[in-house]
Amino acid sequence: MRRNLVLGSLRELGTVGLVAGLCGAYAATLMTTSSILETVSRASGGSVGLLLGIVAGVFVLIALYVGAIVIVGAVDTVVAGRLRHIALLRLLGARGRELRSSVMRGTAAVGALGALAGVALGTSLTHVVRVVLVARGTLPEADYLWATWQLGGALVAIVASATVAGWLGSRGVLRVSPAAALAGTAAHTPPPRSASVWRAVIAGTGIVGGLLVLALGAVLGESNPAAGFLLAFVGAAGSGTGFLVGARFVIPGVVGALSRVLGNDPASVVARRNALLDPLRTTRSTMGLVIGVALVTTFTSGMSALRDSVASWDVDAAQRAQADQVYAVTSTVLVCIIVVSSVIAAVGFVSTMSLSVIQRHREIGLLRSLGFTRRQVRTMITKESVALSASAVAFGAVLGLVYGSAGAQALVGAPTEGLVWGMPFGALLGIAAAGVVLVLVASQGPARRAVAVAPVEALRIDT
Amino acid sequence: MTSTPHQEQSASAVVSLRRVSRTYGEGTGRVAALDEVSVDIDRGGFTAIMGPSGSGKSTLMNVAAGLDDVTSGEVMLAGRPLTHLDDDARTRLRREEVGFVFQAFNLVPTLSARENILLPFELAGRQVGAEQQRWIDHLVLTLGLGERIGHRPSELSGGQQQRVAIARALASRPSVIFADEPTGNLDSRSSREVLTLLRTAAREYGQTIAMVSHDPVAASYADRILVLADGRLVGDHGPLSPQQISDLLIGFEVGAA
Repeated sequence: MRRNLVLGSLRELGTVGLVAGLCGAYAATLMTTSSILETVSRASGGSVGLLLGIVAGVFVLIALYVGAIVIVGAVDTVVAGRLRHIALLRLLGARGRELRSSVMRGTAAVGALGALAGVALGTSLTHVVRVVLVARGTLPEADYLWATWQLGGALVAIVASATVAGWLGSRGVLRVSPAAALAGTAAHTPPPRSASVWRAVIAGTGIVGGLLVLALGAVLGESNPAAGFLLAFVGAAGSGTGFLVGARFVIPGVVGALSRVLGNDPASVVARRNALLDPLRTTRSTMGLVIGVALVTTFTSGMSALRDSVASWDVDAAQRAQADQVYAVTSTVLVCIIVVSSVIAAVGFVSTMSLSVIQRHREIGLLRSLGFTRRQVRTMITKESVALSASAVAFGAVLGLVYGSAGAQALVGAPTEGLVWGMPFGALLGIAAAGVVLVLVASQGPARRAVAVAPVEALRIDT
Repeated sequence: MTSTPHQEQSASAVVSLRRVSRTYGEGTGRVAALDEVSVDIDRGGFTAIMGPSGSGKSTLMNVAAGLDDVTSGEVMLAGRPLTHLDDDARTRLRREEVGFVFQAFNLVPTLSARENILLPFELAGRQVGAEQQRWIDHLVLTLGLGERIGHRPSELSGGQQQRVAIARALASRPSVIFADEPTGNLDSRSSREVLTLLRTAAREYGQTIAMVSHDPVAASYADRILVLADGRLVGDHGPLSPQQISDLLIGFEVGAA
């Protein structure tokens, strides 16, 4: 592979490859599982096929969406860390657009590699599980398909998302002025004010419009579940995008309010200020977690609503048994979904935290020379992670509760009395605890990196 | 004022180096940044550490301030043997006894000028008493920072940032202030201001200052000039004019060539 002009080695895009791989594995697992369940259902004369197809398709769309968001953040962070390098290239005569497309090509290549590996892995693993389940008699003997054409589609879609995400994430390249290379410090130039106004308008429209469509879907679910669910998905995606586009207006406020409890010693103050210093960085590092938690909560809340609804239906024992079986299988799939979205969230969080620690080498060196002990530096990074993660968990959980309940209402509102409402308290507590534990574990790497910074780093002029 | 090598730390010395060597790299890539340097920096003096690039002057400051380890030899800082302390103890010693002014990136970007000045107190867990508060107010006023005290570093000019860094270094009255090319990034007017400030701090407040510089004009403000070349101490002079310092340095460059 040719050397990438901006990135040097493509290793910097490791996060992109990992996320694309996770998406690939995720899509392949879901699609293959759905295809297996369809075969099982057809063999036993059931008709869950169509519904499963829709649900799997929606999940894959969500995965792609999450993946794209995390990739945008990852590329953006990588670019932010290489501003000096980009400025130097600009000084030597490279055009901003060329450099940007060089980043995009790198992202596409790494995304394609990751996606291929992920799809291969996901498909194989699912078939291994299937073979085991058939051998144990859990699944019946049947003619299972090894691969469906949708897998190719998923592959193309992941590469396309990675490419688009690379393009979106590399906007920063165009804002670098060649003079920044001479100035010695390439500060992150904030985007022009007009862009913020547009962003606010887009976010507002997305949130308000999306929530209206979501409500409409929930209402439509009373008469037409398929159309209602699709509408609810469009509404959730629209308002979700609105929230994400406008996240930089919302998240810093949430983080600011929550991080007050951290304390007032220097390590906590610097942690809090850093969590809030750059609203973009704050947003970038929490975006993945917000999405992860929102997804987990959506599914948990949705499933809890579904189970409550099914329990309230007036059906005979055989149907109830079949519903229970479907519920059991779906729950298994759900566990995988929960694990995968948490992993994607953690990958996004760790990568932005690590990169921001790398970018702050001199600052950490300065703090060390002024008398921050290693323990204080570690505390600082951990507290920053906790401030960010707790806010992300809170924000994501609220979004998830709304989406999960609305989705379930759209899907099974028709045969159920009243509104379908999922409020799984136990699961919410679990999610909150898992989120905090995940981040405490995840912040160990960046914290170790930060602790390893020598005090003399602050004195080096060209770092 | 004089430094006689190979003697015990005298009562007036704040920093003492005894046969200090610092090498980097291994095998054929081995470079001795400091080669058996012994020197005392006396209390209340303004010392300039000079030398061409790569002479080891920054390394000298780093080991003297406990920022870097020595390969061999002894460093005493404020009466404590730095070379026998672990990282935590050295960090604590640094925040209690040492002030720093760097060439650039002196201030914690997330903290305001006032918070940067108070950081050493907070780190040491010390309350700012009434007398210290008066001292800080006096510094802020003298340095002309009054109106800018609530601003973040990014909102200050280079000269103002440097003055905040000096105020921070002076605020806790440390045993010694190390300044590494403090005027390297400043225009000539700001440079003069900063250098005058450092000299005033030494003369009027008895603040010990060790300044690393390669600029003869900057060094002419000091009352003692140490010259390093190839990791060795090659000169120890009283106050000199910029022209004399220039000639001295050119002499070493030519001699080395």
